[in-house]
Amino acid sequence: MVEKQASRILGRHVVQSPPEVSFCAGCRACEIVCSLLHDGVVGPYYKRIFVDKGTRSMVSTVYSCQHCADHPCYLACPRKDQAMCLDENGIVYIQEEYCNGCKRCVKACVFDPPRINYVQSKDKSKRKAKKCDLCRNRPEGPACIEFCQVSCLSLSDQG
Amino acid sequence: MTQLYGYVGKIARINLTDQTVSIIPTTKYVPKYIGGRSIANRIFWEEVGPGVKAFDPENKIIYMTGPTTGTGIPTGGRTVFTCISPNSYPEQYAWSGIGGDFGAEVKFAGFDGFIIEGKAAEPTYLFIEDGEIKFLSARNLWGKLVHATQSKLEEIHGKDVKSVVIGPAGENLVRNASVTTSNDNVAAKAGLGAVFGSKNLKAITVRGTGVVVPANIPKVLELRKKMSDPSMAPRPVVHETHHGIPGIEKPVPGGWKRAQVACSYGCNQHCMCLMLDMKSAFGEERVNHVEKCVSIVAFGFEEDVPYGGPGGPGGIFQTEQNHYPACKLLSREVDPPDPSDPYLELEITPGPGDILNFWKHDFDKGSVINDLCNEYGLDKWDVLIWLLPWLAMGKKEGVFDDIDFGMEIDVESEEFVKYLLDMIVYRKGYYGNLLAEGMARAIRTLGKEKFGDTIYHGRYSRQINKRLDLPISLESAWGHCVHWQGRGFEASIAKPAWVATNLHQMTSTRDTQTVQHHHDTFEHYLELKDDPCRSPLTAQAVIMGENKAELKDSLTSCDWQSPNLFWTDMEAQMFEAATGIPMTEEELNNAAERSRLLFRAIIIRNHGRTREMEVNAIFAIMQYPDPWGETVTWEEWNDLVDLYYEQRGWDKKTGWPTRETYEKYGLKDVADELEAIGKLPSSK
Ligand code: SF4
Ligand code: SF4
Ligand code: SF4
Repeated sequence: MVEKQASRILGRHVVQSPPEVSFCAGCRACEIVCSLLHDGVVGPYYKRIFVDKGTRSMVSTVYSCQHCADHPCYLACPRKDQAMCLDENGIVYIQEEYCNGCKRCVKACVFDPPRINYVQSKDKSKRKAKKCDLCRNRPEGPACIEFCQVSCLSLSDQG
Repeated sequence: MTQLYGYVGKIARINLTDQTVSIIPTTKYVPKYIGGRSIANRIFWEEVGPGVKAFDPENKIIYMTGPTTGTGIPTGGRTVFTCISPNSYPEQYAWSGIGGDFGAEVKFAGFDGFIIEGKAAEPTYLFIEDGEIKFLSARNLWGKLVHATQSKLEEIHGKDVKSVVIGPAGENLVRNASVTTSNDNVAAKAGLGAVFGSKNLKAITVRGTGVVVPANIPKVLELRKKMSDPSMAPRPVVHETHHGIPGIEKPVPGGWKRAQVACSYGCNQHCMCLMLDMKSAFGEERVNHVEKCVSIVAFGFEEDVPYGGPGGPGGIFQTEQNHYPACKLLSREVDPPDPSDPYLELEITPGPGDILNFWKHDFDKGSVINDLCNEYGLDKWDVLIWLLPWLAMGKKEGVFDDIDFGMEIDVESEEFVKYLLDMIVYRKGYYGNLLAEGMARAIRTLGKEKFGDTIYHGRYSRQINKRLDLPISLESAWGHCVHWQGRGFEASIAKPAWVATNLHQMTSTRDTQTVQHHHDTFEHYLELKDDPCRSPLTAQAVIMGENKAELKDSLTSCDWQSPNLFWTDMEAQMFEAATGIPMTEEELNNAAERSRLLFRAIIIRNHGRTREMEVNAIFAIMQYPDPWGETVTWEEWNDLVDLYYEQRGWDKKTGWPTRETYEKYGLKDVADELEAIGKLPSSK
């Protein structure tokens, strides 16, 4: 898995700076603004970026969608081009009204932890995948980057 | 049900005795009681009558989030516990705030708060998952240190759970035991850990997958950028060569690594210093720990914090040009003073703090002390400002010559501090047991005259170049030690400021400073400075500070970002953005008054609070000189108390609020009940 990841061609994606550049404050603002701006709520199922805070170390690692060039999540979607879509810039995004919550994209994500969030619900119609779309409809660009209080997030050079 | 914004709608009543849960709709209390401490005060007033002691099953732990918690509004991640505090002297109703991610997770699980009552038959922890509350056996957790408990809970329930836990200090009913959550955030001031322990409650672990919905998202985003003007600039890990209170740092051989982190869910600041790769008290492996304010003296306590002047950046008396929230000081991001400030020269008049000579700088030993407190779950204030200085001073004055701890008293020795805290936390022997009862009680048992009031001869003021008296026990009032009160620790503030902080302390039941550091404008300072006890402005600023503190613990917000004297409706904006309920500054202040009155009513009804009691409780510490040799006279102090009561609408003789005051804030029922028990002042 690690090798598979290492050899991947990635698109532009949100990256966390190393601690000597900026140390993540663990505030979770990135998660919060992501879910607020996409879904109007704050909650663990609605973020498309994940802050993993060590309870003992108190050091946080941020996991984000790597926007893989071969986008296995998109390929795995049974409703591709309706639910999982690919835009002209190669960004894979989800049109939720078409997402049937089958979770195949989550399973297809080659990273651990997977970079696609998933709303679990007893009500099948509410089960939805949530994936970073690089805030493609936001003129100001990625919200997580804009609201990081210590500017420890940025867009990668790749892609 | 119509959409609730900010709140999630349910408060759980959790009975540990019979393992039952029932639900109260949050709307029973809001918006009249805003959230957090205001709701807790109302519930406590209704449910816990006089006579209940801290460790009785009838004592209740009320835990509340606020409407901003989990909304993305900065500082909303802070939440509050209340209970009868075993660490107040005498035991009284008190509160304690906590940061971390726990509060937001509680809301994601569908609860605005809990009322925890009764006592579990055996060690228990609560596992809460999306509305479901389970009582699980804590037999395998009991005895574990704080971080080991947290790790075990993650091992059992998954890495994404959030917990509050107690360590061995809480289990053994050590009166100053704390409750800890992630990022070493603690609720430490009310002996809450011991109340958990008395209920056989080791931890509360939560996982929530629900949502919190703020009413006004653009406003939330605006507040994120506006509150305390976040730097939004990179903050790398810094290799520090020195450590200590700014201005009097000491070199650290080999240096150390410093990072800054936020204390709570969704904050926009990073006040907490994360010390990386530090010496542990429990093994070879290096550990990270969080340092906020007081823990800095663990590393060395030879002199007090320097005097900055009455105002200036981060100062108590502020101008529009030069005012900074405390978070900027802690994250060391204070800009140079703005020279356009007309009072700048008067504001900043720096000078050195008192020489105290409690213990020398020893970086590794400091790390070990903090680690011990973190892992045992002990209030650092009590250990660092009271217990250890008491031993340091008392030893030099010979008061412990006939006392045998089983090891020679030596606060310079890492081994001794480890031995001492182990003895206290596990209640070993006579002195372990005694000190586990907390300093106020232990000193009274030993004999206060000798073991509390003996004068330490090692204090030297560099303001007036003179030796000054200091008692070996740095007790302030209500079983808590001094905190920005003009003597002892953080003594470097002058009389116009310390009369105010002591007044804050007088009307409380615990150390108030962690949630209401005193603030006022520099213009007021110029008016009140010559006779602060006779100026209504002093009382007015204390009332403002007290009311803002109610709001901080109710909305919620935090003491580092609020109040902003030059953005006075900030809290009302936060409330409105979270809930969508229109709120003016005045209306919110009325809600704060209401909460404060309930607190007052509880301590009057349950603990017999009177003017005489509180004036006597605080007056003693102010009889020791401040760094300029100043004290306060009985007349001065009582004049200030008069002014304060008058402005509050409380009777000057008894210190009890009048019926008119209760009714003005919608608390007629409270006035009726107090009248029935003879605790309403007779009308004029
Ligand atoms: S770029 Fe936008 S969608 Fe992607 S994680 Fe950041 S905020 Fe969320
Ligand atoms: S917003 Fe920035 S500092 Fe805060 S958790 Fe996210 S990456 Fe870390
Ligand atoms: S300003 Fe600092 S203390 Fe206050 S909530 Fe934010 S991080 Fe915590």
